[in-house]
Amino acid sequence: MIQALRRTATAYGVFAALILKRIMAYPLGFWVQFFTQFIVMAVTVYFWRGVYLGQETLGSLNLRQTLTYIMLAQLVMPLLQVSLIVHFGSWLRDGQLAIELLRPVDFQVQNFAQQQVGSWILLLQQLPLLVVAWRLFGLELPADPKVWMAFTISLLSGQAILLFFDWIFACLAFYTTDAFGFYLARTAIAGFFGGVLVPLAMMPGWLQAVAYSIPFAQAISVPVSLLSGITPLSDLPRIWLVQGLWLIGLAGLSRLIFRFALRTVTFQGG
Amino acid sequence: MPIIQVENISKVFRISQKDPGLGGAIKALFRPRYQDKVAVDGINFTVEPGEVVGYIGVNGAGKSTTIKMLTGILVPSGGQIRVLGRDPHRQRVPNARDIGVVFGQRSQLWWDLALIESLNLIAKIYDVEPARYKQLLDQFTETLELKELLHVPIRNMSLGQKMRAELVATLIHEPKIVYLDEPTIGLDLIVKERIREFIKQQNRESGTTVILTTHDLGDIEELCPRVMIIDAGKLIYDGPLGTIKDRFGKFREITFDTAGSLDPFEPPTGTQVVTQEPRKLVLRFDRTVTTASQLASTVMSRVQVADFSLAEPDLSSIVKQIYGGALQKEVSQ
Repeated sequence: MIQALRRTATAYGVFAALILKRIMAYPLGFWVQFFTQFIVMAVTVYFWRGVYLGQETLGSLNLRQTLTYIMLAQLVMPLLQVSLIVHFGSWLRDGQLAIELLRPVDFQVQNFAQQQVGSWILLLQQLPLLVVAWRLFGLELPADPKVWMAFTISLLSGQAILLFFDWIFACLAFYTTDAFGFYLARTAIAGFFGGVLVPLAMMPGWLQAVAYSIPFAQAISVPVSLLSGITPLSDLPRIWLVQGLWLIGLAGLSRLIFRFALRTVTFQGG
Repeated sequence: MPIIQVENISKVFRISQKDPGLGGAIKALFRPRYQDKVAVDGINFTVEPGEVVGYIGVNGAGKSTTIKMLTGILVPSGGQIRVLGRDPHRQRVPNARDIGVVFGQRSQLWWDLALIESLNLIAKIYDVEPARYKQLLDQFTETLELKELLHVPIRNMSLGQKMRAELVATLIHEPKIVYLDEPTIGLDLIVKERIREFIKQQNRESGTTVILTTHDLGDIEELCPRVMIIDAGKLIYDGPLGTIKDRFGKFREITFDTAGSLDPFEPPTGTQVVTQEPRKLVLRFDRTVTTASQLASTVMSRVQVADFSLAEPDLSSIVKQIYGGALQKEVSQ
């Protein structure tokens, strides 16, 4: 039993470590991403300063709260960019999915291990941008460790929810050849309803209801609202209950749908 | 006890049909049309441990689809497969531990990593004991002449180097069964020879069962005592290579090196001249009509022969006959 567990952990650890090796193989990508995000952050900060000219609050948030929220949302935004559907699409097109399925590991767990490690590497890569946001744009972070703890747990849960959702979404690649088009649509919807561009608190009630009925807000808006002080810690039980329900529902559904979709697969060639 | 049991398996693919142009694409959105394509049609066979089986057929005959069902990555539309006593699709992960697969046009190695890094990762994934891994790595890289390439990223390797690396990756966990799907495609003769030797060695020393699909009949002649021929999804032959050679290899070639020049030569019945040069004559004959010794004595009565040699039936011409329907004709007669 222990031997089997150790073997399983080693195998998934190998796949997780692989992501780090592959990212390290392309160091230039880090600097390109940093530069792009710096520009986007600067534009966003000056945009919101312009919006607040002549008014104290907007949608119950003051400028400091909004800027803190928006900068934090931008720092964790790369986590939204899960491109599983693009991977599935290209693996199906070139037949690489056959090779991936031949590895002696659970395909979904393998991908989750890789995506989780990839997410944490992305967050670590955001540290220079965090320093820039703090020094140049006055980002304020909470001192209370309980807030950080709540943020971390909520972010981890949100990431897992997003991965399960994206797994289901990626199964569309088994039925369509336009995986990239679906990816673009998903990225735009995720950015808006995840609360990256505008805090959800500023949206009208009906739009907030739409945002909370799809999973993207759980990965960005919910944890970032905790860290930026918009959501009080007293809301934590409700937040974790909602995130728990999303997790359980999507986890089960994702395995079921993948198993079903896999039966339709046609590997090309040979 | 067979290591692979295949009972009446079939695979039907559903292929969407679209009319050309934008109109066709829009129409397909609202009224999709599909056509069923039978890729594998009720085939049966068993494979015993340690066998090397050649699985051949024309493009689209169903070879790769069968292999993919055996590996567990495709679900059969009907029938049953047992590999090492398991259903390979339902028990995909345990099945994957015991098999190795090479798809000639795809790679299991990581494109951006050095070969040794990929191999280290694979050894860990398959939980190969470190000392055994080192021993096998030394042995395989020596045999396949890969030592110099261990620190080269896969993306910088030539096709032949990649295929040799692929074989190491496939066999490093000592699988009981290896499926090789066109492993020598696009390779030069020297690399092909090295790969064939390596496969033979693995079969001989480790008892690895090998199923090989290929269009290269050299692979079949070198490696496979048994062949299975698939045509339009149906298994049309399963038996020793020697049997089809005897049944369909009725044409042979005999080459004479002559001491003097030969006058224009009228070949006996059932014989045709392949080449006639001043000091060389190559004849192709139907061995059901005449014999090599009869032909030799005829030629020797005409000209002084310095040497002669008899070639074995050419496998490619045999397979061409079978693909052309020779087996079906024989059955209908």
